[in-house]
Order: sequence, then structure tokens, then C-alpha cells
Amino acid sequence: MDQITLPPAKEFTSGFRDIAPLAIGVAIYGLAFGLLAAQAGMDEFLTGVMGLTVFAGSSQIIAAERLVSGAGALAAILAGVALNLRILLMTASMRAELAGRPLWQIVLGVHFTGDESWALMHATRAKGHPVGYWYLIGASSCLLAVWITATVSGVNFAHVLPDPVSIGVDFAFTAAFIAILCNLWPGMSALLPWIFSAATAGCLVLLAPIEPSWALALGGLAGAVLAGVKRDA
Amino acid sequence: MPEQWIVIAGLAAGTFAIRIGGYLLGARLPKTGGWARAFTALPGCLISALLAVILVQGSTAEWIAGAIALIAALLTRNLPVTMIAGIATVWCARYFL
Repeated sequence: MDQITLPPAKEFTSGFRDIAPLAIGVAIYGLAFGLLAAQAGMDEFLTGVMGLTVFAGSSQIIAAERLVSGAGALAAILAGVALNLRILLMTASMRAELAGRPLWQIVLGVHFTGDESWALMHATRAKGHPVGYWYLIGASSCLLAVWITATVSGVNFAHVLPDPVSIGVDFAFTAAFIAILCNLWPGMSALLPWIFSAATAGCLVLLAPIEPSWALALGGLAGAVLAGVKRDA
Repeated sequence: MPEQWIVIAGLAAGTFAIRIGGYLLGARLPKTGGWARAFTALPGCLISALLAVILVQGSTAEWIAGAIALIAALLTRNLPVTMIAGIATVWCARYFL
């Protein structure tokens, strides 16, 4: 694909700026996670180390929850890792952005691949802006800074804050992904794969005794396979 | 070693292995034909699946807010506006339903 590319610094700042509305939601979840981390026996330093090295919020939340419930370290790790298997598909779909880059940029790029910044990068590009690797790095740098600040602050201060669900902030990410999906729409060729993905994931959640994160990954995979197999468009 | 350190080290290592594993997988699969179509379709399919998982587990309030957010997204193509419309609707719907 030959595209006009922006200078890396400009891409970085665009990503950093465009993710801001999502960063507000991440901050609120970060504060809530800090409270949970404190309950799991973690101090500010450990919470910061976890945010920096794991950098996958939902898996940190589920692992800390398992620790609090006394399920043990192994169960906590397995729950978090299972939730993160979807990231395999996300970094696989980053192959064009990562191709030909030096190792440190590949390592940084895959570590900085998270739901929000990855989805936003694809959506921004679908709108016709030539953004890629450095846009993702910019967006994730913003989220990482916010995530660490919020989670570390939350260790001591989260108990004074309202529950995210009671103020509707849990829906912030759902609404964001609706906006992102609308921007990703490439035309009618996507209709069947998207419906098939949603139907597969939805049915698995309702009917099969598996974790919702597995239903998500299997649904996404099912739609992508359908897109690969059908020859039209 | 305290339990918390073990969890952080294990989760960090496992998550990084998944991330680099996805890259290695993507880099090794064919760049043309059906594989390429599947990879191009993957982001939209994953997000469709994510929304399906959230919405089938949600209540009427989430369905109404999802519909309003969809209308806002289609009309404005704007991320913050869509998020505010969704949050405001879900807040009202949970309050009144």
C-alpha cells in the first residue's frame, strides 16, 4: 500500500490528542482499579509496576479480583492471561504497521497495542487519514500515563469516588466502540462478516459455558475467516 | 516472594508472550488472497464481536443507550459526542427504568 505518510512526531501528537476522550474513561477505571489493588495487598509502587509491565486494564482488574477472593497467584495469572488472548489477534492485524521495523520498535509496538488505541488507529485510517505506527504509540503513551497516574492515585484515594457504573461511565467504552465501528465501515463487503462475528460471539455468550472474552475472540475469528473465504468484493 | 509479585511477573510475561506471538503469527502468514482479506476484516469483526458480547449481557438501558449512541455516531462521526450521548442515555435509562 502506497500512502502519503505523516512525520512520526505529527502522527504521535495526533494519536495522543485523539485518544483524550477515551483517556477520561480510562482514568476513572484506573482509580477504581487502584482501590482493588490496595485490597489485593499492593502498594503504589507495585501498582505502578503492574500498570507499566502488563498495560492491559481488564486483565489487571480480573487478576486483582482473583487475588482478593483468595483464589491464589496461579488462578489470578491464568484468568488475566485468558482474557488477553484476544490481543493475539490484534497484534497479528498490526503486521503492516510493524513490518520492516527494528526490534525495539516491534517490542514497543506490541506492548503498546491495547483495545482503545488499536481500534482508534484503524478507525482513523478508515476515515482517510494516513496514520499508523506512531499514531498508535502516541495514543498508547497518553493512555499509559493516565493509567499509571490513575491506578497509583487510586491505591489511596479511590474510596472517595463514586462507582463507575452508578455514573454511567462503564458505558463510555461501549459508546466509543460503536463510534469506532461506524468509522471502520468499509462498505457492503463487511456486512456479512460483521454480522457473523456478532452473532457467533453473542450466541456463544448466551449458550456456551465459556468466558465472554473467549466468545469475543472466537466471534472475531469466525467473521475474519468468512471474509477470507468469500470471494466477492 | 510475595504473591503479588508472582502475579505481576506472571501476567506481564504471559501478556507479552501473547502480544509478540500475534506479531510473529501475522508476519508469517501469507500477504495475499484469502489470508489478506481475513486480516483486513479482523479489526471490524473483533469490534462487532466485542459489542455483541457487551450488549447480550446488558439490560434494556444498555440497548437503548447503544441505539442512541449508534444514531449519534452515524450523524456526527464524532467520538466524544457519541460517548457523551451514550453515557447520558444510559444514566437516564438506569435512573428511570
